[in-house]
Formats: sequence, C-alpha cells, structure tokens
Amino acid sequence: MVLDRSPRLDLVFHALAHPARRAIIRQLSGGERNLSELAAPLKMTFPAATKHVRVLEQAKLVRRRVDGRQHFCRLEAAPLKEATLWTESFRQHWEARFEALDSLLDEMKSEEPARVRRH
Amino acid sequence: MNAIPAKSADSLQISTPTDTTLVLTRTFHAPRRLVWEAMFTPDRMRRWMLPPPGLTMTVCKCEPRVGGALEVAWKSDEADPVMTLRGTFTEVVLQERAIHTETMALGSGQTIGSLLEKHEFAEHGGVTVMTITQTYGSKEDRDGACASGMDQGMEACYQQLDALLAKPA
Repeated sequence: MVLDRSPRLDLVFHALAHPARRAIIRQLSGGERNLSELAAPLKMTFPAATKHVRVLEQAKLVRRRVDGRQHFCRLEAAPLKEATLWTESFRQHWEARFEALDSLLDEMKSEEPARVRRH
Repeated sequence: MNAIPAKSADSLQISTPTDTTLVLTRTFHAPRRLVWEAMFTPDRMRRWMLPPPGLTMTVCKCEPRVGGALEVAWKSDEADPVMTLRGTFTEVVLQERAIHTETMALGSGQTIGSLLEKHEFAEHGGVTVMTITQTYGSKEDRDGACASGMDQGMEACYQQLDALLAKPA
C-alpha cells in the first residue's frame, strides 16, 4: 500500500526518458545491431550514442556482446514488460474510478428533471 | 438495447509531458455542471473515490473555493485513520477549473507524498472532457506516487476478473 519504491523501475523509466534511447530500443526491436548501426540514424557522435547505450545497459534493457572489435547490442524485454505492467496498473486504478464516476453521472442525469421541477 | 461504451474515443489518456507531471484526460457523457458536482461534492465523491483494498473512507470534506479545504481520511481494521489526504484549493473558476494542493499521509502523520492537482473541464454539446494535471515535487515523487497506485490497480483488475468469472457462461 505504502509507496512502492523500485530502484529497478526508476532505472528503466530514466532510461526510457530520452528520445535517442527510445529510438535505440525501436531499432533493437528489429534484432541485434552493432554500435555503429545504432549511432548512424541518431545524428550524434559515436561516443554520445555509446553513452545512451550504456544507460540502457544499466537499466538492463540492452545487453552488449563483444565480438572482436565489434560491439553487438540486443534488447532485453523483461524490464520493459515490468514497466508496462506498472503503467497499466496505474491506468486500471484511474479507469476504475472513472467508471464509477460514469455510473454516478448517469444517475445524476436521471435525477435532473426532478431537480429542475423543484425550481 | 444497451450500446457498448465507446471505449476508444472516451478512454482514459495518460501522458507525462514533463518529468514531474502526469496528465489524465477522460471524456464523460454529462454536462460539466454535473461532472464538477460529482468531482467536488463529498456525498458524490464517496461514490467514485474508490478506497484502496481493505480501507473504508471515514472523512470526506471538499470546499471548492479559494482557501477551501479538501480532506479525506480512510480507516482499516488496524488503524483509524490509516491514511489521510489533505489539501487547500488555490484557484477556482466554477465548473471550469480548480487547483488544489494535496498531501497524503499515514495515520501516524508521516507524509508520503505531496502534489498540486489541477482539474479542467471543457464541455461540447453535453459531453465533458476533464483533464487532471498532477504536478509533483520531483520525478521520484511522481514515479513513487504512481507506483503506490499499483496495488489499487491490481485490486481493480481482480475485482473485474471476479465479476467476469461470476457471470454464468
């Protein structure tokens, strides 16, 4: 009930809070890519792109594999799934409230004619 | 004949335009006069402010005028109150917009989160779009507050599932 502070989710949401990192995730959803492939469409320097990859790695959203001089990255889906569950639960809570509000408003609307007559 | 609710058009939109804000947008098939009344009248609030699982609302006070108080308290089997929500209205334009502060605390008095909540109501032909903008002190506060909604959200899921399962096949 009390605040569910999740350092792991904090890392995931921090990682997702940048357009470049979301672009990297989109690219990786198509399969494994090496660092130069990831950096190319981002219109940023290679070190800058690498820094973003590192943030994704810390959040365990991306796993890096070194093969010779090539660094290959791939997407790890589990933390993303957890993040989705988190936002979906928040949504469920508010949807339940608003559905209750819908029924209440229907009742209030049907009370309306009686109310108008009283004035 | 009951029409199937138009989920897609009316469904809840949640966005996070900045690190410290959360915006909820929802359409209601009622004039904003009624939506306002439902949102800010204690007897009406008791109907939709669904308590977290295991809790019962004991206090509900709402004075939608500048300087007016907002106070809600819940009790559990173990404590009364187990949780409180207190705030003050800082801006009120009748049936149009209302801003209030909000601090959640445990029964012990320990604060568990503060935010500023803005409600905006826009009506078009008897249909009202309500936008709630929550502004937190920090990104951590925002994320923490949302995470606390998780249990409640899960409970809502289970209740829906229960209702579904209770229906004869």
